[in-house]
Amino acid sequence: MLLEINNITKVYKKKIRANDNISLSIAEGEVFGLLGPNGAGKTTLVNQIIGLTKPTSGSITLDGVDVIANPGYAREHCSFQAQTQVPISGLSTLQAIELVGRIRGGKKAEVRQRAMDLIDKLDMGEWQKMMGVTISGGVRRLVAFCMAAVTPGKIVILDEPTNDIDPLRRRILWEEVQELARHGSAVLLVTHNVLEAERVVDRLAIIDQGQVKGMGTPARLKEDEGGAMHLELTLEPNQTEPDLPDYLQNPVTVNRRIIARVDPADITKAIEWARGLKESDIIEEFKLGPATLEDIYVRLVQNPDEVEQPGEVT
Amino acid sequence: MPKWLRGYLLMVKWSFLSYRPWLSLNFAVQIGIAIGMIYGLSFFFPAITPDVAKYLTTGAPTLVLLVAGFVIGPQIIASARLEGTFEYIWSLPVGRLSHLAADATVMFASTLPGIVLPVVLGAFHFDFNLDISLLVIPAAVLIAMSGSFLGYSIAFLVPKPMMVMVITQIFSFAVMLFSPVMFPVERLPQWLQSIHQVLPIQYMADLTRGTITDLDVNLGLAFAVVAAWCVIGLFITLIVVNRRQ
Repeated sequence: MLLEINNITKVYKKKIRANDNISLSIAEGEVFGLLGPNGAGKTTLVNQIIGLTKPTSGSITLDGVDVIANPGYAREHCSFQAQTQVPISGLSTLQAIELVGRIRGGKKAEVRQRAMDLIDKLDMGEWQKMMGVTISGGVRRLVAFCMAAVTPGKIVILDEPTNDIDPLRRRILWEEVQELARHGSAVLLVTHNVLEAERVVDRLAIIDQGQVKGMGTPARLKEDEGGAMHLELTLEPNQTEPDLPDYLQNPVTVNRRIIARVDPADITKAIEWARGLKESDIIEEFKLGPATLEDIYVRLVQNPDEVEQPGEVT
Repeated sequence: MPKWLRGYLLMVKWSFLSYRPWLSLNFAVQIGIAIGMIYGLSFFFPAITPDVAKYLTTGAPTLVLLVAGFVIGPQIIASARLEGTFEYIWSLPVGRLSHLAADATVMFASTLPGIVLPVVLGAFHFDFNLDISLLVIPAAVLIAMSGSFLGYSIAFLVPKPMMVMVITQIFSFAVMLFSPVMFPVERLPQWLQSIHQVLPIQYMADLTRGTITDLDVNLGLAFAVVAAWCVIGLFITLIVVNRRQ
């Protein structure tokens, strides 16, 4: 494996345990998702990979090289899009992308070509000459993505790359992420956007409170649900949540939406119950379908408030 | 081209482009301050002699370099820390010292009008002679480097970025009024003179005066003390920028 993370624990001052015995590995050409709510320890893990933070214990190797002892090696081979905005206030979009491409070792002509390709694909031409200080937060994040992708390293780390980006460009950005992997880079994608991640990642780890709660391909994680179904109810406005029957497992309420897991043996009962609520005008609608990655995420993560709504654009 | 040099030059470009929006304004302000300072001295001291004017105006370059290194530099770093800039910059494959050196280079270049203009205008207005030696170049670079490194040490050692802002404000006040840059050290109380025998500030002023005028200054001692502080600043900076949480 290209990146091997073994038993990483990070305890900050005041005994805050940000990472707790995390182990995972990522291969070349793989898109690996790191999913979890805010404060789960995702960014801490990334910061340890690129040498910004030192683990309390455990090991991280990139290409067999110990990057805790050699953080310079990690920075040489990891291109990184930080969660925070990139400091490009005085630079134009094109200058920022080109300059980072060259700092990462790219040749001038090749970097220019690649930068222009990315700008074209993401339809960013109108901002190409605008200075960072004048562009919106969403465009800045697109620029930050291009800065990470212009001269990609062996690993491309993207921390919440689609925040603030419009749905059309998000789609193109995800295609570019997969393109990076096709060209041999390993992509570590850090996000709490479960729905989008499901479509892009080859494998993923769900972490919460610093621990890996589940890991595998999206299909394998769903298999582990044992054929369970996903029941989703949408309450009528101003209706209070009804008493839920015992066979609805791990129920979660997000705004007017109630999501629960249903075992195959209880499906008929669940449909009958939901129909009754619909006829009594307690719920607007209900949906029953195979368990989604979001269901698994919700089940594994203790604090479900961070789960994004389907179709929600943030 | 060696990798470190390539990284340094590209980071100089990054810093220059980053500071570009306020560089022209900064130049204009420095020119305004230089003109105001020289002509303002005539109001403060109507009977100013050329010798006194020479002492005062040749302190200005040191003051500018000190303010750039100890005040503006740390404040820029403090606001960059607040914005999380270093999380990104330090993920790039460029040595952290190269990045800071690139930043300091741009900062130093941006202070050039403030260094040169007061002296030239002062000599013209108060009619005194300058005696510029080639040593002025290493002297200015040494002052700028030691100021920057010591400034970086403060900026990264102080845990809270907001505290850096407060400390640098206090520092600028102390440098302006209680440091022997614009007046001879003998005017200070004995205890403050003793402190300034160890601190680099009066030696920085000596370096400037000794390389642009014929004033009698122990240049060897000044170079030695400022160089020693530069090494101390570099050493602390290396430790603080390379430490990981």
